[in-house]
Amino acid sequence: MAGIEIPHFCWHPDLPVDGNCRMCLVEIEKMPKLQIACNTVVSDGMVVRTTSEKAVQAHRTTLEFLLVNHPIDCPVCDQAGECYLQDQYMEHGLHDSKIQPEEKVRKRKVVDLGPIMLDAERCVLCSRCLRFEANVTGTNSFEFVNRGDHMQISTFENRPITHNYAGNLADVCPVGALLSHDFRFKMRVWFLEATDSVCPGCSTGCNIFIDHRDGEAQRLRPRRNVEVNKSWMCDIGRKEYKEIALDTRVTAARVRGTSGWEGASVPTALDTLADRLREAGTASAFLATPQATNEDLFAFRTLAEKVGGMLDFRVGDPQDKVRVLEDSVLLRADRNPNTQGCLDQGLGRTGVKEILAACAAGKVGALVLQGPELLRSAEALDALGRVPFVAVMATREEPLLDRAHLVLPAAMWAEVDGTFTNYQRRVQRIRRAFAAPGSATPRWQMAAGVSTRLGTPLPAATARDVFALLARAVPDYAGLDFKTVGAGGRGLPAGPEQIATQEARA
Amino acid sequence: MAAKVVTVNRDTKPGIYPVLIGMAITFKNMLQTMFGHGAATIQFPEEKRKTSGRYRGIHILTQRLDGTPKCVACYMCATACPAECIYIEAGERPEATIEKYPTRFEIDLLRCVYCGFCVDACPEEAIFMSRENDLVGTSRAEMIIDRDRLMERAKLVEYGPGYRPTDHDVRRPVRIAALERLKHEHGIVPGPPSR
Repeated sequence: MAGIEIPHFCWHPDLPVDGNCRMCLVEIEKMPKLQIACNTVVSDGMVVRTTSEKAVQAHRTTLEFLLVNHPIDCPVCDQAGECYLQDQYMEHGLHDSKIQPEEKVRKRKVVDLGPIMLDAERCVLCSRCLRFEANVTGTNSFEFVNRGDHMQISTFENRPITHNYAGNLADVCPVGALLSHDFRFKMRVWFLEATDSVCPGCSTGCNIFIDHRDGEAQRLRPRRNVEVNKSWMCDIGRKEYKEIALDTRVTAARVRGTSGWEGASVPTALDTLADRLREAGTASAFLATPQATNEDLFAFRTLAEKVGGMLDFRVGDPQDKVRVLEDSVLLRADRNPNTQGCLDQGLGRTGVKEILAACAAGKVGALVLQGPELLRSAEALDALGRVPFVAVMATREEPLLDRAHLVLPAAMWAEVDGTFTNYQRRVQRIRRAFAAPGSATPRWQMAAGVSTRLGTPLPAATARDVFALLARAVPDYAGLDFKTVGAGGRGLPAGPEQIATQEARA
Repeated sequence: MAAKVVTVNRDTKPGIYPVLIGMAITFKNMLQTMFGHGAATIQFPEEKRKTSGRYRGIHILTQRLDGTPKCVACYMCATACPAECIYIEAGERPEATIEKYPTRFEIDLLRCVYCGFCVDACPEEAIFMSRENDLVGTSRAEMIIDRDRLMERAKLVEYGPGYRPTDHDVRRPVRIAALERLKHEHGIVPGPPSR
């Protein structure tokens, strides 16, 4: 990596080389003609000139050629701001067009392909979408039709794209030919701020950017990580941002009084919870959620151990599905981002059935739920009715929350710092992009708050501190901190379970 | 340019003489107002002061022949706006060659600094400024004017158009600056490719 930028359209790091755009021409000594940089093998003693007069002239000519039939409708194009044509015109072109607008070849515009909008006029025929369809999803939806300057991409009979990876087509398209339907006309990209994060949609843990403006997520975009998701993410994951800005978020704590729900501040609610836990003592139960970060889980585990109650997380058996691939690309059957983290921290202890049995037998004085999963399960209904005090940390309002006696507002993944451990046992960092609504608080802070009220404060002020404590307590995480986890994550030593799967795969 | 230096003699002794000088100036101005160039005061609001053709007053959104806004909701004005007073929401225009148009276009006239950057930034000549400068309202909410009110303003002949892109080609300097940068940083002088 010499840090030299070579202009290109068709080359993509995670797709096979095609070499059709001719934009990356470079001058190589002892070669009579210019060569394409993307498909020329480097050899010993090779002298390559990327900015010689001949190469620069070639870039300009190629770009002018690519722009011949381009409609130049940047004002209405969503790609503007992240468009290769725009960037390279400013860098290499700046020529005056020799073509009158009325001379340009007109092609199809505003073709609705389901999750994707096609504008054939803007296309530079780089074939990235064709190669994505052929090599990643294997669906081959796109094909070139017609010839010469009438050539354009098309799906058969304009059928919509139906696979779960359509969003990537808009990402691989270097220009505005394929655009996301969901993001259409929503926002100009230069207003957006990107925060590195990890998709919470399933146990794969695709690396992503949260693109947000004024505290509101506008879209999710894959962040390249060759170890995990390459440059891709699925459409189910892309929709995760919609959960954040819902107006049904839980934004304040509430306690069930004699006449129904009564609003409370988070500290008062934590006081109540601490009192009930003190009363219940070992006759208490704790259910963690694989939706939570490692820091949340650790603080929750510390609290459960301090009180001495029962502890588990396996509502709906996510641990059986962690590594089950659903569609041979990225999506996994376990739709929780951190089931592996729960397993690593040994949260599967008492057993959910056993906890429910104890509840049904009236042996549980206080039940603390880190997430609302148990409230949603029909089998738990009777058992829950027998527990005098159920506290739940929830992000979203739902009627089922009425089964609890105390509701605590939890911050969502985009609003907290922390780590998730994916199916490969790779610890990956998520970052706080914007503030949580109302008095929603990170789950670890609430658990730590209860610990403090019970007389054993967690010596941590930030998620970073909690992770440091976690690294000391869990052997596999030894020596890790936020810095060593870094932007790309860090793999843990393979556990016996994973070695078994690797062997099975081999 | 060197400043003009005026020496004022403040040595005048007190007495009737300075009073007479003052009265003389007063009478001179009175006579000029009565018989000379007239009063500087105008009878606002019945009478309005004359403004230049490039005056930057309240904005106008221009229309196409069919009465739809010329604006394509490209957000260039909102991007250029230093006061962040322009709020746009884009929507899909059905059955039209231009697919995008503003479903909402609002300018907070109390936040606006009337710099005219929005006019400079607009690639469609969709936003002009009028010469209307007497902004009156009874609430802050009233001072945020929406798309339809901005479009109606084109009918206001009372004030006349103000700053508009036909005054000079505002895009030229941007392109010249980009060419300068290319020449300076990369030694590239673009032009038609040599044959």
